[in-house]
Order: sequence, then C-alpha cells, then structure tokens
Amino acid sequence: MATVQAEKKQAFTMVQAIRSALIDEMTRDDNVVTLGEDIGIRGGVFLVTEGLIDMFGKERVIDTPLAELGIIGAAIGMALYGLRPVAEIQFIDFLYPGFDMFVSEAAKLRYRSAGQFKVPMVVRSPYGGGVRGGSYHSQSPEAYYVSTPGIKVVAPSNPYDAKGLLISSIRDDDPVLFMEPKKIYRTVKSELPEGAYEVPLGKASIVREGKHVTVIAYGAMVPLAQEGAVQMEKEGVEVEIIDLRTLQPYDTDAILTSVAKTGHAVLLQEAPRIGGYMGEIAAFLAENAIEHLEGPVVRVTGWDTPFPYALEKAYMPNVERLMRGIKKTLNF
Amino acid sequence: MDIKPFTDTPIKFLEYDGKPAGDIGSLGLTNEQLLVMYRWMVFVRAVDDRGYILVRQGRAGFYAQVAGQEASQVGSALVLTKNDWIYGDHRSQGSQLVKGLKAAQWFAHVLGRTLDPTQGRMMPHGSGSADLHIVPPSSTVGNKITEAVGTAMAQRYRKTKDLTITYFGDGATSEGDFHVGLNFAAVYGSPVIFFCQNNQYAISVKLEEQTHTKTIAEKARAYGMDGYFVDGNDILAVYAVSKLAADKARAGNGPTLIEAYTYRYGPHSSADDDTRYRPKGELEMWRTQRDPVTRFRAFLVGKKLWDDAKEQKLLEEVKAEVADEFAKAEVSTPPEPLTVLDHVYAKRTPHLDAERAELAAELGVS
Ligand SMILES: Cc1ncc(C[n+]2csc(CCOP(=O)(O)OP(=O)(O)O)c2C)c(N)n1
Repeated sequence: MATVQAEKKQAFTMVQAIRSALIDEMTRDDNVVTLGEDIGIRGGVFLVTEGLIDMFGKERVIDTPLAELGIIGAAIGMALYGLRPVAEIQFIDFLYPGFDMFVSEAAKLRYRSAGQFKVPMVVRSPYGGGVRGGSYHSQSPEAYYVSTPGIKVVAPSNPYDAKGLLISSIRDDDPVLFMEPKKIYRTVKSELPEGAYEVPLGKASIVREGKHVTVIAYGAMVPLAQEGAVQMEKEGVEVEIIDLRTLQPYDTDAILTSVAKTGHAVLLQEAPRIGGYMGEIAAFLAENAIEHLEGPVVRVTGWDTPFPYALEKAYMPNVERLMRGIKKTLNF
Repeated sequence: MDIKPFTDTPIKFLEYDGKPAGDIGSLGLTNEQLLVMYRWMVFVRAVDDRGYILVRQGRAGFYAQVAGQEASQVGSALVLTKNDWIYGDHRSQGSQLVKGLKAAQWFAHVLGRTLDPTQGRMMPHGSGSADLHIVPPSSTVGNKITEAVGTAMAQRYRKTKDLTITYFGDGATSEGDFHVGLNFAAVYGSPVIFFCQNNQYAISVKLEEQTHTKTIAEKARAYGMDGYFVDGNDILAVYAVSKLAADKARAGNGPTLIEAYTYRYGPHSSADDDTRYRPKGELEMWRTQRDPVTRFRAFLVGKKLWDDAKEQKLLEEVKAEVADEFAKAEVSTPPEPLTVLDHVYAKRTPHLDAERAELAAELGVS
C-alpha cells in the first residue's frame, strides 16, 4: 500500500508545489530556515507555508516584524553565517524597502569579498497582475533585479517547474529572486513525483514545438502564450514557445536554436516595455541572430504605465495582443 | 562597579587626566592586559597615520581616519573572541586590526593589492576576512546593521555562545536600518552588540541636527533594550561596557546598544574639508585635553606601569612594525585584469564567460 502511494503521482497547484519544495528541503537540511511576515501560524497570506511552523518550529519558520529591510538584511546575515534562508516577501511590490539590502549587499558580497563570503539565500515572492491587486499587488519588477549582477532571477510557469526550480534555488550558492506568478498560483496543476527533484537554473524549456515563430515568455505569460498558440494553429501558424524559467542567467542556446529554426521572435512579458526584461532578449537577438531573422523582433508587453486597478484588463497582455504581435513579424 | 544604562553623562573609569574615576579593579584586568590595550591604541594610530599619507602621496584614492576613536575601537574589539563576527563601517579599521587583520593586509587594501583578502574590490574601508569573521563594510551608511542581526540570529539558532558586533556612526542612527535592526534583535533576543561611535559629526552635520534626543543610547529604550552612554575616549570604560554587553549576549540575554561618545581628528575623509564646519578650537581641545591615548598613558604612568623610556621603546617598535607591514603590502601585486569577471556568482555564467573572452581579446591574453 505504502509503495503504491509513493509511486502515485499527485496533482499539485503551484502553491502546493512550492510548499512541498520547502518541506523537502527543510527536512533534508537544517541549514534551511524560512522567514517573513505572517508565515508562521497564519501560514503566509497565500498559505505557501501552511503548517510548516508545526513541522519545524518557530526557530526555523520565523515570523518577522513588519520590515522588509530587516527580512532581507537578516537573511543575508544568516546566509553569510552558513544557513540557507528562504525569505518570503508578502508581495514583490514590498521588496522595495529591502531593495538596498538585496542589490547592494546580497548581490555584491561575494564579489566584494573576492569569493571569501557567499550569500546562499532565496527571496520568494508573488508577483504579477491579473488578480485585481491594483498598483501595489500586481507589479513585475524583474528588470531591476536582472540588471544587478550577483543575483539570479527565476520565474516558474507551472507547479512542476516551481518545485524543481525552488529546490535548485535553495541549493544554489548565490542569492536567488524566486518570482511566483500569483495569477496562476492555483489555476494550473501538475503531476508531481514524490520527493525532491531539481530543475536546473539557467535552462529554458520548450513547452511547445513549432516552426513558424518563436514566442519567448516566462511566469504567468507562458499559459497565455499557449492559448495564443492554439488560436494561431487554427490559422495555420505553428508557434514554438520557450519558457525561459530563469531570467538571469538566461539560456542563450535555447533562444538561438529556436529562432534559427523559425526566423521570427515575439517576446512576451507583462511588465512595462521601456527598459523591460525583453529588451535584453531583443538586443541579444539583434546581436546574435540577425542572419536568421526574417521579420522584426516584436515585444508584447504591459503598457508603460503604473499598474491600474479598474483598468487591469486593458493593461494586461492578452491573446489578441499576442496574436497581433505574431502577425506583425510573420507578415513583415 | 555597577554600570548603569541610560545615564545622562558618559560612563567613565578615567578622568581626562588619567586619574581613576571608577572601580578599575572590578574589571579584573592584569597589568599585562592593560599594557596590551595601550599598545593596540598606539599601533592603530600609527597604521592610520601611514594609511592617510598614501592619499597625500597620490598612491590611494581615499582614506577615512579613525584617529581620535582608538579607545572606542580597541576597547570594544578586545572583548571579542575568535568566533565572534564583526560588521563594521567605514571607520572600523581599528577593530579589524584587533580582530586579527594584518596591517599589511590593511595597507594592501588601501593600495588595491592582492595581499588584501578582498583583492582590492572595494575602495578603502571595504576590507574583510572570512577566516576572521570580518564582513566587508559597505559604503551605504547603515546597511550592515540588519545583517549583523541575521548573523546573531544564526549564532543563536546554532546554539553557540558567540556574538556579533556591528559598528556604525551617529549619522547611521537616522537610517531605517538602525531602527529595524534594533527592533529585530530585541524581538528575537539576538546576541548582538550595536556599537555606535558617536564622533558628533556625520560629515558636516552635527549631532543636534541629526537627532532630537540628547543621547543615542536612550533610543534603545524604545526597542526594549539597554542603552549605555559611555565615554568613548576612555578605553577602560569602553572595555567595561562592551564586556558587560558581550557577557549578556553570550548568556542568551539579548542585544545591547552602546553609544561611545568620541571625536574624530581627521576630516570626514581625505575628500572632505573640515575647516568649513568645525568651530575654531574644538579639534585642538579634543586633541590636547581628551585624547584617548594620552589619557590612558597618564593612567599607566600613575600606576607606575609606564615611563618615558618604555614609551620611546614602544614607539620605535611600532614604527618598525608598521614599516615592515607596509613593505609587504607594497611588494604585493595588483589583481590581474581578467579577474574582474570572477566571483560574481559561484561559477561564471555563460554570459560572463563570453565577456571574459571579450576582455581577454582586448587585453591580448588568454
Ligand atoms: C546611505 C548613504 N548616504 C550617504 C552617504 C555619504 N556618506 C558617507 S559617510 C557619511 C556620514 C556618516 O556619518 P556617521 O554615520 O556619523 O559616521 P562617521 O563618518 O562620522 O564615522 C555620509 C553622509 C553614504 N555613504 N551612504
């Protein structure tokens, strides 16, 4: 009976998958501790840490005072000492009070000490729109962090990857910003094997193969890309989708191989366009794939505005916008 | 002696002229230990003088002297043990030397040479050593304070008797880091010493313009911890209060804020012009009437532990040692240009590999 259960795969939401990664890693390694606001008895506002305080105690599941500066700062000090803290920031919009600690300290201490010190910490935080969260519960701030050398940035698009990527992030010896797409926290389910497994950082995945156009996305934009691909198929267009999974360092080989095949690239992100992450991918393609490109590299993004509440639908990239982008490059 | 928190006047063990002002016997210091304290202060000052000259000579880009604050630095660092951690700021070189950083490593840091454990990554005052548990100071004022708390939380989690000390200036107490750090440490009862070197200025801004409280120590009250206001130019008082805070931390009784009231002799840094803001005569008064080294020497002379001949001999010894250490730093090489791309991450990413190849080609090396 027990073995049958162990072999049976279960369907997990992303919240459950992330929780399961934390449980596996905290069970395996007592250097792993987690800290944040309301993560103890409340189990986190999204219930990612539900029940962990009963399993691991308050020495390892640390409810903190309400100060992100302190959460990030304390996590750095713990990591320098040899622990592997996983800090939860309730919403990524509230990482800004801890921004200085993260970009000035976590990111630079290895470099600044010429490799003597390391900061193996993870900052987990829900990001992104589509949940009627308004300006401060919806942002996608990855551009700030990917442009800070020393930090790795990860954004999963499904529960399976979320668990494997979080485990890799916890085991990684560098600070990782682990961006959790809250819009799909509970909407997508994956079958998960029993126990811990890694999904390597820095490796993209091809979630759909196609030969006409490459759509590059991450996080909650991946399901949107999949919807768009289904629609385009009806019009005879075969879309290939790359899920970057890790934004820094990103998988240049996967991008080049795909674009060499399709000759077209559409870059999908929900963050504003100017200075956004996909600007980097566009520049990378301009520098390295010009001989393969048969049309313009097109960005499909949120608008260059703060994130709106009532007009969220007008802001968020949608299937129509994506299809327009795809046609723009194909019809060039 | 009963040492009390939240006093209106600084805790003293010595009068300005070096006469005992408190129960020095209660400190349990041997004559030998007293002489070690004195030697450290003389040494730190000599190293600092040599370091500052490098800027004048155009051989270093920056220097911030700790001169005048030797008693604060040495008196507090002497209570630390090997496994304790230090998080300092830009005026913490004295405590780093006491913790074990070699003067040669310090000079190499100022010169940007490879003998510096941090390989000249930061401008001067960013050195550190993992072996010695000295975390490299940041340039961003205040932002070591919460890290120190995190390390102390980890020390507690690992059930050690070790502690973490963090040094910062009076200016840093206006940053959020100070308040968040004290609050966290108090909530968790972390074994940390918050050591504020109140040298009365943050560049040009006087303490009265920095804060509306009379002392910095009293801010501890708001976080439910003890704050001690101590004469930072009295090494025995600094030692006594630091020892008390350290014993308390090791016994699991939580954090302490110490305000060491002191004065810096140099400009804020080699890039500052302190004549623009210091009132006439103020510096002279501190130098001639409150100097921590002179004051402690007078005490030692009074105890018949010191005399002119010993002083002469010590100065010669220290001079030779500093010259020796400096010579080691001088012959140390600058870092190789290609190493600029190392240690961003545990392993160079493919992007960094590509950039390294680009730089190698630019340099004509491989
Ligand atoms: C966050 C930040 N703001 C401003 C500066 C520029 N700055 C460097 S040191 C300093 C004053 C620091 O004063 P204090 O904390 O009292 O230390 P002291 O230099 O007097 O030892 C200032 C304003 C900085 N380095 N970091």
